[in-house]
Amino acid sequence: MSQAVVREPKVYPEFTERPDHVPAELVYDVDIYNLEGAKDGPHEAWKRVQQEKPPVFWTPRNGGYWMVVKGENILEVENDAITYSMRAALVPNNPRPYPAPPMDIDPPDHSKWRILISPAFSPKAIQASEDMVRKFAIDLIEGFAPKGECEFVSGFTAVLPIVVFLTMMELPLEDREALMPHAAAIVRSPDPTKIHQARLALKDYVEQAVADRERRPREDLITKIINSKVGDEPVPRDMAVGMLALLLSGGLDTVKNLMGFSCLSLARRPELQRRLREEPKIIPHAIEELCRRHGVSNTARLVTRDTELAGVRLKAGDQIQQFSFLYGLDDATVPDPMKVDFDRPAPIPHATFGNGPHRCPGSMLAKKELQVWLEEWFPRIPEFRLKPGTRPQQDAGMVANISELWLAWDAAG
Amino acid sequence: MPRITFIESNGERKDVEAVVGESVMRAAIDNGVDGIAAECGGCLSCATCHAYIAEEWADKLSPPSEEEQVMVECAIDVRPTSRLTCQIPVTEALDGLVVEIPASQY
Repeated sequence: MSQAVVREPKVYPEFTERPDHVPAELVYDVDIYNLEGAKDGPHEAWKRVQQEKPPVFWTPRNGGYWMVVKGENILEVENDAITYSMRAALVPNNPRPYPAPPMDIDPPDHSKWRILISPAFSPKAIQASEDMVRKFAIDLIEGFAPKGECEFVSGFTAVLPIVVFLTMMELPLEDREALMPHAAAIVRSPDPTKIHQARLALKDYVEQAVADRERRPREDLITKIINSKVGDEPVPRDMAVGMLALLLSGGLDTVKNLMGFSCLSLARRPELQRRLREEPKIIPHAIEELCRRHGVSNTARLVTRDTELAGVRLKAGDQIQQFSFLYGLDDATVPDPMKVDFDRPAPIPHATFGNGPHRCPGSMLAKKELQVWLEEWFPRIPEFRLKPGTRPQQDAGMVANISELWLAWDAAG
Repeated sequence: MPRITFIESNGERKDVEAVVGESVMRAAIDNGVDGIAAECGGCLSCATCHAYIAEEWADKLSPPSEEEQVMVECAIDVRPTSRLTCQIPVTEALDGLVVEIPASQY
């Protein structure tokens, strides 16, 4: 079942020539790695793309592929995992240097692989690690609270998710410093060689952990996965390693940026902070709204058969990227979508974690991390704002990202 | 249409008309029953449509698949009567079914 290992990434030209089946009037020069206006806010920049461009259009950048920006068409792609396969999840389209189940396995086999990891991200598993997440979050917050300022990304959002992941996997926490740059490069670098190297580095890291469990089995997820079966067949080693490497890369930059953008919203709107401070009970609902407004991850698909989407003819072999977070930002989904409003009726619609069989397995864990952050933040930090003279560093990419966010508050005492 | 009674964790009973062929989870969500999260939308990957179904109904329900048995163990406060409601298709035979919702899905 293993797939061939690709040694070298393909390097695509700056512009790819339009294939014959793509109508000239549907070609727009939009580059996810260099998006106009993204440094002032990637969500606002993508919203403009949604408003100004057709629902489905073709970009010559990053290998040449379709972009889907209208809410209803985004759902259509996500919910049809057979026509739109996740075997080409990243742009430019370079296969991972290792198999990555369950993402790159289409239904019907997909569910046999998915069931191997779902229990690790289930309510019971999350409950078991909640105390640890909380303790770690409190330590971080109490560390900077007396200073009256913090750089929220390096001081909190970049640290918490990776610590959570390492704890759940029972891996040493001190490994985080070495892992973080690789995780960031995979989703943010437009350079295929760098992405390729970062993927190999994560895979090597996981491989060492697997080798360790092969020598000394434990009662942990890694041991469980390497000893598990799909049907009656033991999971091949390269598949187990790939699956663990995918879990590692999937949970790092994503939660980090979701939390970072959410915090930026709160810093700009003191009245939102007051609501959460005075009514902590609304936090789970508020998190749904923050997830709707600040979704970060967007995956691509491989079109597996000739089809039509929003009246556009797609050919088997085309690559197509659906912008999950644009579903929640579509005016047809909610009124006044760019506004954060904790009083929207439940359930708040969004596709921030995707839909269908490939829906993010870590969504409950991500929300738990946000919940712990907000619950422990407000009792310890007074009203906060952007630190005067600083500018949040934001950009677009496979994962919309915020790499620097300085906050300030009046420290006690 | 078969009627299903959901008992929410505060004791409130909600009788709903369920659509044959859809799931018990869908019947709860579409009729505003509180306490079913259904985070994954019915893909059997989250265990947040967990509920308790009285034993006397067991032989009228489709039995849990191997995958459901794995996932239901991942819910909170699991009992012998625990099921994942996204995996139970509504049939005419379920008329009168009583489904008890747990205190929490997370």
